[in-house]
Amino acid sequence: MNLEKVVFGFFVLLAATLNFGFFIGDISNPDLHNIYELFAALAVSLIATVLKFGDRTQIGAVHLATSLVADLQLVAASVVWVWAQEISAEGMSAAATASVVSLSGGALLAKVVSVVLLVIETVTFHRG
Amino acid sequence: MSNPLLFFAQIFSRRHPPSRVPVRVHIDSVSQASSTIFLFMRRMRAPLITLIIIFSVSVVGLTLIPGVDPGGNVAYISLFESFYFMSYTATTIGFGELPWPFTAQQRLWVTFSIYLSVIGWAYAIGSLLTLVQDRSFRQALALRRFTRKVAHLREPFLLVVGYGRAGELLAKAFDSLGQQLVVIDESSDRVDALDLGSYHADIPGLVGDAANPHHLTAAGLNHPFCAGVLALTNNDETNLAVTMTAALLRPDLPVVSRTVSATIAERMRAFGTPAVVNPFDRFGEHLRLALNAPASYQLLTWLEAGPGAELPDRGSPPTEGRWVMCGYGRFGREVTGDLRAAGLKVTIIEPLERGEPEPGVIVGDASDPRVLARADLASAVGFVAGTDDDTTNLSMLATARRLNPRLFLAARQNRPASAALFEAMRVDALLVPTEVVAHEVYAQVSTPMLWRFIQEMPARGDQWAAELIQRLRYNCGRELPALWKVTLNHEQAPALDGWIAEGRVALGELLRSPEDRDRQLRVVPLLMLRNGEPVLTPDDETVLAPNDELLFAGEGSERRELESTLVVDSTAAYVLFDQHIPSSWLWRKLSRKSPAPSTQSGGRLR
Repeated sequence: MNLEKVVFGFFVLLAATLNFGFFIGDISNPDLHNIYELFAALAVSLIATVLKFGDRTQIGAVHLATSLVADLQLVAASVVWVWAQEISAEGMSAAATASVVSLSGGALLAKVVSVVLLVIETVTFHRG
Repeated sequence: MSNPLLFFAQIFSRRHPPSRVPVRVHIDSVSQASSTIFLFMRRMRAPLITLIIIFSVSVVGLTLIPGVDPGGNVAYISLFESFYFMSYTATTIGFGELPWPFTAQQRLWVTFSIYLSVIGWAYAIGSLLTLVQDRSFRQALALRRFTRKVAHLREPFLLVVGYGRAGELLAKAFDSLGQQLVVIDESSDRVDALDLGSYHADIPGLVGDAANPHHLTAAGLNHPFCAGVLALTNNDETNLAVTMTAALLRPDLPVVSRTVSATIAERMRAFGTPAVVNPFDRFGEHLRLALNAPASYQLLTWLEAGPGAELPDRGSPPTEGRWVMCGYGRFGREVTGDLRAAGLKVTIIEPLERGEPEPGVIVGDASDPRVLARADLASAVGFVAGTDDDTTNLSMLATARRLNPRLFLAARQNRPASAALFEAMRVDALLVPTEVVAHEVYAQVSTPMLWRFIQEMPARGDQWAAELIQRLRYNCGRELPALWKVTLNHEQAPALDGWIAEGRVALGELLRSPEDRDRQLRVVPLLMLRNGEPVLTPDDETVLAPNDELLFAGEGSERRELESTLVVDSTAAYVLFDQHIPSSWLWRKLSRKSPAPSTQSGGRLR
């Protein structure tokens, strides 16, 4: 058992599950999307990205790329949330909630790709 | 074998008949550098993750602790405000307690997270600084920068391996010719010296072992603009390795290699056709030339010294009599052989007896005046101090001069620092191996025509050489002018196209000033190559043919005047035939209606 793989798999899956938890629910209803979940998803996603720093394999590079995409989406979602909450006069309107959640949905897609890559890596390892 | 693909490529290539086109093997030179950078990114993982965790915990913790707003109500600060507060607190900027003063519980949590985050930042920044100062990391960065610089070169460059004395002399000479260089040297001091040297061009320098093919590739061995490889290190083995690498990876490149050993020279020639420069060998040949033809030797050393060199004095070594040779190493054997071939008797003094004693060999320490006395210096005509120790050489020279003031003194200088001492000693012929190498390589690489000239020159005799020196001095002064090459083709001499094909251009007519055709240009044609056949110092009556190649010596201003004759139609018509034709297209069209100019230039005006 490779501890590095365990840690990385843990963080990738955790980021995906947290992201999914935030994403699920009516897209325009702010009550169904807990902002702490988004925060946690972003933090875990950043850790998963840093864990792939300096990986020279091909699959590691793709992992890094998908993680960076997810980070970008989540940061964008957080910024939209801050804008709606603190700056915009309307507060968390349905439209603002919808854009935060849909941005996190994009991040979720990247996370799914990450998980698929993880599974592929594991399966090929067993074959070898 | 690092790359399994290379291995398979070799296996498969054995099945097919060998192709004639040399295969360019790609060696990934950047991989070494990037692997170091990957390693350091890997090392930054732990500090960065620590920082992210500390930040997340502090930010979330602060939002969970109840505060009090100015109205006295319980209020929680939002995630964004918490993130903002933590960002400026953790980075020690400290704007104060925002958005309103904290309660005691909040302050407790903030105290805790301040200590936590300071540890996190100190860890991350400390790791980053350690990493930046790490030697191998800096080397990797330097290699990357160097590789990028070389890859972006868009002009032909020479790859100089070894930036010692010879490398430095050559770099100066080539830089003044506008030739781009790339330098590798083992010692970082020498590469620093390269950076400090005042060159016109920006010469990339790499500290690295040149025997390593990766470093050679990083320095542009596979670069399409690489024009040649000069292996000039002090180490014969390194030069051999460089020659070998260049011959295997780029068989099309010319290689010039320095060695003092005949065995190594043989091993180098096993790989293609490198030009091997052996300074001892060349010194012997030069000495023989100096004995037979002092003026030819003077011309040779002058031309090899590069642009701007002062005309050296013409020596007059004794051509008859007995020479005394001190130090019978590789240098001594070469020179003795050449002296004997010139018909001179040689007495050898050698400190150690090697193998069977040869006739005429005195065994003993030559710096001992009693041993020198046995060589009977009073009746000798020449004396060579050829050991590999400068102090010994100088003391022998002093003793020899005291015993016989009329001796012709030749010496070998080993260290650059001794140059002043040998100059003060006023020896008649001095071998500085690094300078011999530099001059020789310069002559071979700067223009192939100069090398051709130097090879053909001794056959023309001493009188001819003396006249040529007179001519060069009269036209160009005591300092060697720039040598440049002109090919009479459509690109370099478009104005002469038709006339040359008709065989109506004589060299003497061409070399006239465009301002006043009665004044001859102060340019000396050294060599003309016609279909590969050399003609030395072609005279004024020589009729030029298309694609003739000419090597000229002359100042830059004269060169520009000649170039305007070669390129501008109206200038060429004036210089060659004293005719004035309009230089603009419109006036030419108009002037065609006027009475036609004489038949001489009619052909060109169509």
